[in-house]
Amino acid sequence: MMPMRETALLRLLQLADSALPIGGTAHSFGIETLADEGSLTPSDVESFLSVHLEESGALEAVFLRRAYRGSDRRALSEELGARKLARESREASLKLGRRFAELVNGMVEHELLETDLHHCVAFGAAGAAFTIPVDVAAMAYLNHSIVGLVSACQRLMPLGQVSASKIVWNLKPAIVRASLSEEASCFSPFLELASMRHGSLETRLFIS
Amino acid sequence: MRAFALPGSGCLVHLNNVSGGVLAGDRLALAVEVQEGAAAQITTTGATRLYRHRAGAADSEQRAIFLVANGGLLEYLPDAMIPYAGSRHLQQTEIRLGRRSTLFWWEVLAPGRLAAGERFAFERLRVKTAVYAGVRPVLQEDYLLEPAVKDPSATARMSRYSHTASFCVVQEGRPPAFWRALEDRLNELARERTRHGQAVWGASMLWSDGVVVRGLSMSACFIHETLIEFWGVARVAVTGMDAVPPRKVY
Repeated sequence: MMPMRETALLRLLQLADSALPIGGTAHSFGIETLADEGSLTPSDVESFLSVHLEESGALEAVFLRRAYRGSDRRALSEELGARKLARESREASLKLGRRFAELVNGMVEHELLETDLHHCVAFGAAGAAFTIPVDVAAMAYLNHSIVGLVSACQRLMPLGQVSASKIVWNLKPAIVRASLSEEASCFSPFLELASMRHGSLETRLFIS
Repeated sequence: MRAFALPGSGCLVHLNNVSGGVLAGDRLALAVEVQEGAAAQITTTGATRLYRHRAGAADSEQRAIFLVANGGLLEYLPDAMIPYAGSRHLQQTEIRLGRRSTLFWWEVLAPGRLAAGERFAFERLRVKTAVYAGVRPVLQEDYLLEPAVKDPSATARMSRYSHTASFCVVQEGRPPAFWRALEDRLNELARERTRHGQAVWGASMLWSDGVVVRGLSMSACFIHETLIEFWGVARVAVTGMDAVPPRKVY
């Protein structure tokens, strides 16, 4: 792994900060459905997210790496769009990608990123542009995603701050493993179905 | 192999594996071309049984490619795939659709021979599916199941359910609003057919040009009946004609 320059590190910390204003807190990616029907409880969150990282997390890391290495970003986003079968989660990923790109373009004051990319693709492209090592970029992206999902769980179920922090802490090895994946496979039908059925919940806190 | 005429137009073809199943080391290839304006319905004569892996043999493979020319219609409606204990298999399916051509496709995966007490006792199953409208990918699936390594019953995978089902309808050239409306209708049916703890269904518009339906079930019961219902709704919406189930016993 290449050493990171100080400014690259600081930029990464900003781009992967859960407080980055791109709307991440508005999405649960189907978790709200699972919580609503009792399929996900506070005691299950850590194991659930560990498996989620093995499947969806690893897939996104693969696409992030491809974007980082210079593959056609729009073609990557089209391919990832065809793999994300649940519309709400797919649209959420595109919305975050658009707002991420708009924010980055605004900060650097030029059109660095296209605004129709999935979030992981845009993040990979930004990582390359800011000379952040690809392994670090992939880990930081997945860490950012997990922090967002744990935060969603805190709003959906009785999960305290210490417990939530401990879950994120304990998931670091799973984040590293998923970030290193080169296998673009994903099997997550129950979560896909949760996302497909999210629109029919009577009350919803989240867009997805 | 004899093709049967379908009511109206088109033909029905049954795929028949005379060996009764897929043996270790088998490499099966299927290439289908539906010509311009033609209609084909393709099904199997029974479940695809994937037999136990044999030491020294390669993983079995089944590769299928379907080319549907402009204005053609393909209905690919195979029976379930049943991976027996110890089996290792790759299934690769590629479907390419021309302009204004139509696809109805479903797939059912069982966890093994439940009657023999097998449930996720296979070694490895890799499934790769890609559907293109022109050069645009509209549906891609790529998954690897290794039950001894990755628990299929994890909540983020299949939870308590044992069978997966997928159905998709694709027609190049329809506007997104058409597919969104069809998604709503199929989700209405999905809600009616969902029985938590027994079967759960949902529908979603694809990235473009189609809708996918997903299902998870505790058993094979009612999966095909439910898929036929989804197919029926989608077929009327997309072609204006009723679905005609293949001539065989379900």
